[in-house]
Amino acid sequence: MVDFLQMVLSGIAVGSSYALMGLGMVLIYKASKVPNFVQGEMALLPVFISFMLLSTYKIPYYIAFPATLIFAFFLGCFLEFAILRRAKAPNILGLIIITIGMEMMLLGFVSWKFGASQRAMPFPISSYDSIMIGDIFISSLDMLTLVVALVIMLGLFLFFRFSKMGVAMKATQMNENAAALMGIKTKQIRMVTWGISAMVGAVAGLLIAPVLVEPYMMWDPMLKGFAGAVVGGMTSLPGAVFGAYIVGITEHLFGGYISIEFKSVVAFVIIVIVLCIKPSGLFARHYVKKV
Amino acid sequence: MKKYLAYVLTVMTLVILGLAFNTAAEEGITDTEIHIGQWGPQTGPAAPWGAVARGTDAYFKMINEDGGIHGRKLVLHYFDDGYNPAKTMAGVKQLQEEIGMFAWVGGVGTAPGLAVKDYIMDKKIPWIGPSAGSRHWIDPPSKYLFNTYPLYLGDAQLLCKYAVETLGLKRIAIAFQNDDYGKQGLEGARKQLAKSGLKLVTEIPVNVADVDMKPHIMKFRKAKADAVLLFVGPGHVARLQGTGKAMQFTPQWMTASTCGDHPLMMAITKGLYAGTISSTFGMMDPKQVGIGNKEVSQTPSLPLLAKYKKDAYGKFAAKEERWGMTFSTGMGLVEPFVEAAKRCGRELTREKLVAELEKIQNFNGIMGTVNYAPFDPKDPRCRIGQQEVFLLRAEADGSSTILTDWYQTEFIPMEH
Amino acid sequence: MLLQENVLMDMKRDYYEDVQIFTSGTIVFWLGALMLLLTLFPFIAKNYYIYVANYMAINVIVVVGLNLLVGYTGQISMGHAGFFAIGAYGTIALMTHAHFPFLLALPCAGIVAALLGFLLGLPALRLDGPYLAIATLGFGITATQIIGKIKLFGERQGLHAPKLTIGPWHIQTDKDFYFILIPITIFMVLIARNIVKTKVGRAFIAIRDADIAASTMGVNLTFYKTLAFAVSAFYAAVGGGLYAFVLRFIEPELFSMFMSIMFLTMVVVGGLGSIMGSVTGACLLAFLDLQLRNILEIPYFGEWIKALSESYFSLTGVSNIQLIIFGLILIIIMLFEPLGIFGIWIRFKKYWMTWPF
Repeated sequence: MVDFLQMVLSGIAVGSSYALMGLGMVLIYKASKVPNFVQGEMALLPVFISFMLLSTYKIPYYIAFPATLIFAFFLGCFLEFAILRRAKAPNILGLIIITIGMEMMLLGFVSWKFGASQRAMPFPISSYDSIMIGDIFISSLDMLTLVVALVIMLGLFLFFRFSKMGVAMKATQMNENAAALMGIKTKQIRMVTWGISAMVGAVAGLLIAPVLVEPYMMWDPMLKGFAGAVVGGMTSLPGAVFGAYIVGITEHLFGGYISIEFKSVVAFVIIVIVLCIKPSGLFARHYVKKV
Repeated sequence: MKKYLAYVLTVMTLVILGLAFNTAAEEGITDTEIHIGQWGPQTGPAAPWGAVARGTDAYFKMINEDGGIHGRKLVLHYFDDGYNPAKTMAGVKQLQEEIGMFAWVGGVGTAPGLAVKDYIMDKKIPWIGPSAGSRHWIDPPSKYLFNTYPLYLGDAQLLCKYAVETLGLKRIAIAFQNDDYGKQGLEGARKQLAKSGLKLVTEIPVNVADVDMKPHIMKFRKAKADAVLLFVGPGHVARLQGTGKAMQFTPQWMTASTCGDHPLMMAITKGLYAGTISSTFGMMDPKQVGIGNKEVSQTPSLPLLAKYKKDAYGKFAAKEERWGMTFSTGMGLVEPFVEAAKRCGRELTREKLVAELEKIQNFNGIMGTVNYAPFDPKDPRCRIGQQEVFLLRAEADGSSTILTDWYQTEFIPMEH
Repeated sequence: MLLQENVLMDMKRDYYEDVQIFTSGTIVFWLGALMLLLTLFPFIAKNYYIYVANYMAINVIVVVGLNLLVGYTGQISMGHAGFFAIGAYGTIALMTHAHFPFLLALPCAGIVAALLGFLLGLPALRLDGPYLAIATLGFGITATQIIGKIKLFGERQGLHAPKLTIGPWHIQTDKDFYFILIPITIFMVLIARNIVKTKVGRAFIAIRDADIAASTMGVNLTFYKTLAFAVSAFYAAVGGGLYAFVLRFIEPELFSMFMSIMFLTMVVVGGLGSIMGSVTGACLLAFLDLQLRNILEIPYFGEWIKALSESYFSLTGVSNIQLIIFGLILIIIMLFEPLGIFGIWIRFKKYWMTWPF
């Protein structure tokens, strides 16, 4: 029983970092209707910048982290403004290729600037300390990730419900033309959505970084986050978080009881099964297309 | 219409002719230069291993500064293959056919190497020191392929032997990467433990793509392992040790030669690596330092290594290049080649090089003793090169303590 | 006037003209010239370029098949590396263990992959967009993991391709293999063109444009959607089987997600819904993939990049500029012309035809 609880708890811990990536991807999917492959690298560059600030320039944490988040925001806005917006009459595949192109550029840029060796990230909370609840462990970093994921989800929920910009974003996502007619600057809104998504991604990256920093570190969380968002429904924020937890927990339960090698595979198989039953994910509304 | 057609045909002919630079393949040797080729991952997830090629490059530049090999300068052509065998093949073919390499050295990776091995061997081109301790290079042996990298089997043998005989541990487990490297560790560990009547308490495969190590540590904890062999890459070692500490599981960690770069490991594990025992095949000499004594890798005690650091790394490496195990491996793997080329004298041909290499006995550079023998298709030992490794322990202050002397490991042939 | 009508207004006068494989005399002429060029090529080019051509041809096969799925039927697949792997491993296994000749092993591996494609198509019936992408991605990962466990396939150590003999002919060098590969490629492309021009192709296009309307017109969605998957899987497997012999050594790690994404990129960059577009897209991107590594050798540009790296970036990571340039090319092509290379060609042709208006 203890093992089972430990696995579930570990699954929730790792699911939180997937959830943060998933949140970012759902935000962008709702705004630009494209699954965003550059989510990982939008987080990677700010993390490396933060690494540079902390190790080379020895700037204290409470300045470096907010600076990183602000940089991430502007990076997201820049990517949307300079590149994605310039696409004429885009279809979804074309946009996906553009995001893949951006991803390659950012990855190449980070590898070029910083070199390929692995590094350790200075961080106030160590990923090696753990909190014990009875016989069950959760590392302090994982605890922090869990708390941050829930806080961000709550924050986004409140933002979308109660703030003017959030409501404007929801309106733009629902029906762009109507929103524009109501006086909402839809282009700016989209840019800001990208910026917020990049910020969420950067938070995820900063929480993954203390384990190991290397240029390819964001691929796996991005994929799992994408998978989780798909399971939960690409148009639903709580769905993305829930889906990410499902992916994390399934992986751990399968890995613990049956086979470690195949744990990622099984996560995807479960996803396919869920999608067969609910084609748009668990929490999204399945819109019937107009003929 | 006719004019248009004529115009187009002319363009087409010019394009076709442009592709026809069909110069005859050179042998890679001129009066002043020897052309050597190498591949390595300068980009991609395996990019940290790109330092091997850069190490060889710095080494060759140092030799050139000292006059080269009998008046000829060594020109190293190294290219990036991103650990993708298709690109390795493209690069090897391009360099071989456009410039013509005299020999190939190094080359990181078992899969990329295996993809090009037949091509290089069919053309009877010597290949010295592939940078991967795989049995595929010597089992069955090829006349022109000289291995220098100690097989991973040996690392597993020595680590298990030490754990059982010196440390008295009985419950040994292994985390192995799901490829040739990890499988060799598994086989070597099993064979060595069987000699003491023990078995591995648990064997956990690690996928390279996995970043979450909690399930693995849970399994190790459950099996109550005293010592865990880590036949994985440095990144995974950091993750496993970190997760282990968080789950309050701290056995005797033991790693293979790929993680022998202790300063790097200490940095990326933020000090958790202290106390880990790893097997290694160079960078220091147990006889020089003495068993039980410490060595700091930034100030090598081995005179030859110190010379390399000053003359090759100091003068020719890029400013952000780290002085570490990977960089110096690039130098150590090609030392037999350089030695044999020097012994050939001014008359340097491929056949002469192979003959000189075969005569190499008890050669000591910055790595262990290298031995070759005349070619015998049934005996892999004629091309195995180095077969000794020794153990180091990482200390909290960044130094390494030498634990054992050089140990001659046993060669276990592959199952066919 | 008549020429313009044919190009711009696509006026076909009867059904048989519409299903013609080659739409006009000029096209037949240019294709003939291309065939001539392809035949002469291996005699005048160096062996290395023949290897590059082989690699490009394999990508052409896979991408043309993938286009049938993505461009014509409108479904997205990020798991085609899985079918590619099945083709490669299947061909080698059939040749070494069942002693099939190469020309029989290849289509058999293709049929096995087609069956799996059909199975993958079944859940795909209900999914689209990112949901289908994840489902196919999962398939790609699963296939390589399962292959990596099977001892018959050499597990993770990889597999060497056996010596290739077709009839009395020993295939040893790239040049020999070229003369098998190019005819197979041409044949597969022609089949794809045929599929596209006839009933099946129309059904695919109808499904892409308005699937509910198509099903009311009598197009059996289940059959055609799974058929699209099966056919594209067949193409990918044939490409994989040929790849195993070009590379002569395969292992599960080769068939990664990056490979699937690369195929998808080639389809989109070439032009969705156009066979010639897929061919050009595949050729261009495969060529770049293999050749961008030489970018540091370009006389002035290479030196400038190295100098730049030393001052602002890292010299050790300078090869990463390949990634940057590749990504930049993708972005530029897709921004300028969402229809891909084929779209650029159409625009160029229209401009040429309607000049000076």
